[in-house]
Amino acid sequence: MIISQTSGIPIYQQIADSFRADILEGRLKEGEYLPSIRGLARDLKISVITTMKAYEMLDQEGLVTAVQGKGYVVNAQDGNMLKEQHMRKVEEGLMQAIQSARIAGLSENELIETLKLLITLKEN
Amino acid sequence: MELTSVIHGDGLFKKYGSFELDVPVLDIPQGFATALIGENGAGKSTLLDILAGIRLDYKGSLKFFGKYDDNDRENNPDVKNAIGYEGTGNYYLPMWTLKQGREVQKLLFRNFDENKYIELCRQLAVPEEESKKISDLSDGNHMKIKLAGVLSRDTDLLILDEPASPLDPLMRDKLCDMIREYLQRDEGGKSVLFSTHNISDMEAVTDYAIIVENGKIVEQGFVEDLKEKYVMVKGEKEDEEAARKVLYSISSNTYGFEGICLSGKLDELAGMHTVVEPATLSQICVAVMKNNSKLYGVN
Repeated sequence: MIISQTSGIPIYQQIADSFRADILEGRLKEGEYLPSIRGLARDLKISVITTMKAYEMLDQEGLVTAVQGKGYVVNAQDGNMLKEQHMRKVEEGLMQAIQSARIAGLSENELIETLKLLITLKEN
Repeated sequence: MELTSVIHGDGLFKKYGSFELDVPVLDIPQGFATALIGENGAGKSTLLDILAGIRLDYKGSLKFFGKYDDNDRENNPDVKNAIGYEGTGNYYLPMWTLKQGREVQKLLFRNFDENKYIELCRQLAVPEEESKKISDLSDGNHMKIKLAGVLSRDTDLLILDEPASPLDPLMRDKLCDMIREYLQRDEGGKSVLFSTHNISDMEAVTDYAIIVENGKIVEQGFVEDLKEKYVMVKGEKEDEEAARKVLYSISSNTYGFEGICLSGKLDELAGMHTVVEPATLSQICVAVMKNNSKLYGVN
C-alpha cells in the first residue's frame, strides 16, 4: 500500500481506497480479516484514529463488519454492488472527459464520436 | 465508535499565585495516543503532574481505568504498576552510573524488563559505556534512558511530559514508532498521554488532541474530527477584508491571505477567490492558541 502525504487526498481515504479495491477485485475474500487497526497504524507510521476512520468508512459502505474483540471481517460481496462500484468509476471518468471537452470547445456530437472511435480502436 | 476513558477527571483545580488550572471535566480516551498541547505556562505539566500523582495538592476527583480513584493510584500497587510516568525533572542521583540507574529501576519496579531496557537503550543509541555517569549525559541521552525505562515496564498507561523536546529529528521519529508499537501491543488496551511543543513532529502519532491555554482546555477532539471542523483557506488580497469577518484566524502578506475557517462558515466565503485545503493539526493548534492566548496582540 502506498500512502502519499502530499497528494491532497486524506490518508484515511487512501487506505479505504486501497482496501476497497482489494475487496472488490477479490484479493481480500469473504471471511478474511483486515489487519488490526493498531498494527496497520504502526506499519504505515500513521495515527490509530486515521486507520480507524478508514475502517469505519468501509464498514459504512457495507464492505466489512466490525466484530467485537476480533477486528473487521470482509463481507460477502454481491454482484450488484460490484457493478455499482465499477459504474461509479465509469461515471467519474466520463465526467472528467465532459469537462475537458467543454474546455476544448468540443460539441456534444464530437465528444460522442470520439468515444465511439476510441471503443472501436480498443476492440480491434 | 465505542469510547471508554482511561482517565476521567471531575472538577480538577489548582491555584498558585495568579495562575489557575481549571478543568471541570477531563476524559482521556483509552486505546489511543493523546497529545496535550499549549504554550509555555499554559498548565500542561501541572495537569500531567496531577494525573500522575507527582502533585497531590489539587481539588477534584480522578478515575483511572474506569474503576480506580486517586487514592488507589497512590496506594494500590496494581494501579501504580499499570501507570508509567516520565517527567522533565532529573530523578537519578548525580553520582549514579548508567549501570546503577538500570539496577535501581530493577529494584523499584516489579514489572521492569531488564532485557527490554538494554534492547531499547541500544535502539535509541544510548552511550554503551555503563560506567558513564548519568549526570554527564546530554539532555537527549538523558531523555532516552528515561523513555527506555518507562517503556520497559509492563504498563497500560503512559504519561509522558515533553518526551520529544530534547530529542533530535531521528529520535523523535523513533519515539513515534515506539508509541505506536506500545499501542499495538494490546489492541485498544494501552493508552498514551503526552505533552508537546513539537506538534508537527508528533502529528502522525496523535489520535486525540487537547489544547490548553491559560489553565483551561480551549479545544479538544479526535484529530480527524478537528480536521473536519477546521479547514485552511487561502485567498487573494482583494477579498482579505471580507474574509477577515468570516475566518477563525487570518494572517496576511503582500499578495494575499491565509487562515483557518470553521467548516460551517465556508458558505460565507462564496463569491471570493479562495482555495480550501485540509489543515494540519499544527495549523489548527496555532489558530486555536492565537484565538485564546493571554498574550494580547499576538493575532
